[in-house]
Amino acid sequence: MIESADDTPPAPGKGGTADERALAYAADDGTFALYNDYRRGRSELVRDPALSPTDEPARSWRVTAGADRPHALAPAVEVEGYGVFTFPYGPISMGVPEAGRFDVRTYGERVLALAPVGGFKSRRIVASIVGLPVADAALRVERLAGNLSAAHVAAFLAAVESAQGLAVPSAELWVRALAQELQRVYNHLHVLARVAEAAAQNVGLAQTHALAEEVLRVQGSVFGHRWLFGALLPNGPARRTDPGARRTLAEQLRHLAREFERLWALFLESRTFIDRIQSTAPVSRADAVRWGAVGPTLRACGVDWDDRLRVPTPPYHDLFVAVPRETGGDALARLTVRAEEVRGSFLLLEQLLDRWPGAGTTTEPAAPPVAPGRGVARVEAPSGDLVYDVRVADGRVVAARYRSPSQANWPLFARGMRDAVFTDFHFAFESFGLVFAETDG
Amino acid sequence: MPSWIQQSIARGILTTRYPQDPPSEAETPATARAPVPTCGTVPLDVAATHCPVGAIGPAGVDRGKCIRCARCLPDGFAFSGPVEAAARSRAELVVGAAAPSPRVAPTAPLAEIRRSLHVFLVDVGSCNACNLEVLALANPYYDFSRLGLFFTNSPRHADVLLVVGVPTPEMVEPLRRAYDALPAPKAVVAVGVCPIGGGAFAGTPGLVGALADLVPVDVFVPGCPPSPVAVLDGLLRLAGRERRTTEGES
Repeated sequence: MIESADDTPPAPGKGGTADERALAYAADDGTFALYNDYRRGRSELVRDPALSPTDEPARSWRVTAGADRPHALAPAVEVEGYGVFTFPYGPISMGVPEAGRFDVRTYGERVLALAPVGGFKSRRIVASIVGLPVADAALRVERLAGNLSAAHVAAFLAAVESAQGLAVPSAELWVRALAQELQRVYNHLHVLARVAEAAAQNVGLAQTHALAEEVLRVQGSVFGHRWLFGALLPNGPARRTDPGARRTLAEQLRHLAREFERLWALFLESRTFIDRIQSTAPVSRADAVRWGAVGPTLRACGVDWDDRLRVPTPPYHDLFVAVPRETGGDALARLTVRAEEVRGSFLLLEQLLDRWPGAGTTTEPAAPPVAPGRGVARVEAPSGDLVYDVRVADGRVVAARYRSPSQANWPLFARGMRDAVFTDFHFAFESFGLVFAETDG
Repeated sequence: MPSWIQQSIARGILTTRYPQDPPSEAETPATARAPVPTCGTVPLDVAATHCPVGAIGPAGVDRGKCIRCARCLPDGFAFSGPVEAAARSRAELVVGAAAPSPRVAPTAPLAEIRRSLHVFLVDVGSCNACNLEVLALANPYYDFSRLGLFFTNSPRHADVLLVVGVPTPEMVEPLRRAYDALPAPKAVVAVGVCPIGGGAFAGTPGLVGALADLVPVDVFVPGCPPSPVAVLDGLLRLAGRERRTTEGES
């Protein structure tokens, strides 16, 4: 256990500022590690890394997919005292409509410590795709987390293409970006709806829920599937991206963006809503960096890291990507970042549709493989940096591993819940956008 | 200054006319329908080799296995099955190739479960899409409370268990306890192909098989995931209140 160490702030580096280099991913066989250098704003791939003790928190709690027994997703914190007991919440509850458990140490109202427990819904995906042709493996990867399918498939395919050294048609990359940005809008709206529900903002909930449904319907009409299954695969359901369909889509998106602006303005005016999320489940910048937080959780702590900007792949390298940042580190900051990102995604969607590549046959080379037959890809999923590490031979998956944003952010959620009251649980949980499905795999 | 009330009025009524009216096009993207052979001469044996989940065989299309991946479309299939495809038995989901898309005959509702139903969602290993489609029933577009259907926060207050996901060994015991906590009369609805037959994960070593091997299942709702309309149809079918289709309509 490392709970004794995790309260010490990171050692100041030269110049008096904290060392802002975070481990993003370490290969299981020690071949390489990916670091984020927040001060220089770039990603580094280190071969034969000598992982230091400061990398330990980010490494030991993050890659857990495939572990098929219920297991802790954050370090245990021992709390004893008069009347202190463990309250198990889950794995079946309507409050968190997914299978996962939370062991809450409490004497009643106050949460002294909280340990999320995962592994209940492990479908053994990572193990089961080994030996499958890439196209068949992708059918399981997109069903790893249904509401995050575009990000997972895009990262998986990019890793495979890198491993195989394939050039990818530009049009295909644009379709991936289109699907990912639509799904980002859906997921951020979903988070907003869940927080509104927890705050009993019933009109806000209904309106946001309706808007999220409209995004699903747009996805259904463009890609033939409400959750984009098959949308990014060859031989999937028919796509509708002809000029006429793109004009209709652009019009629909402008309408959705207008509706969202009105909703968000109303939420910001609701004192009861803001009161519930302000200073709820705060995460400090030092903790976020040390534990390797990703996505809106990290950006809400003042770090402007976004894979679309820092590890850009086509077409993102050519588009304007807004990276909103907040400094509060609390649920309000996380929600504000998500709301700004909805705006950013609408802006990206507009750019994508505006500058849609012609029918030409231009291709983009895949990223160079990290090792022969082994590719790594990073994608900014709705809740943050998603890494796929795939080995391929003869068109079949030899080994696959991924690190999802949920896996990275569980320890921060557990820390944020310390000393909160139990009624804060749903505001805190939903604001991190954690998904058990992509944690367990 | 705009207010929530103005916002609500400006948006107007969004709620679907289903089940008074047939499901609309917006509610049913292509994959909301199961694939059906477009003519009688479709080579089933060729399509069977392209189906990654073994849903196509000599007997026809098993909707309880089909994940709507679209790989059979070049072989002469089209997404044109009925949206309301919930069945009261597993066998009804296998649709013969000779007679494509028969309407599932209305069956008698469970004697004790009719009218208003309280529903509890249990995830036994899903990808989250089915969970969210079920929760979407409460959004203004579907608003299932207008039909007397409600979510409950405890299985002890529920009439119906909606089960999503492919059962994992870790969830067998929690599922059994949730099922036992339901007061009688009770019913189980399997939502999506994962609990029906494993879906995309069928045959994965370490998983425990079909939901029907663990608890008795009253209604099977195929789809990956089923659209909210399909889930609604499953619940209404359980109560004997499904939409009555007119002759010639699919």
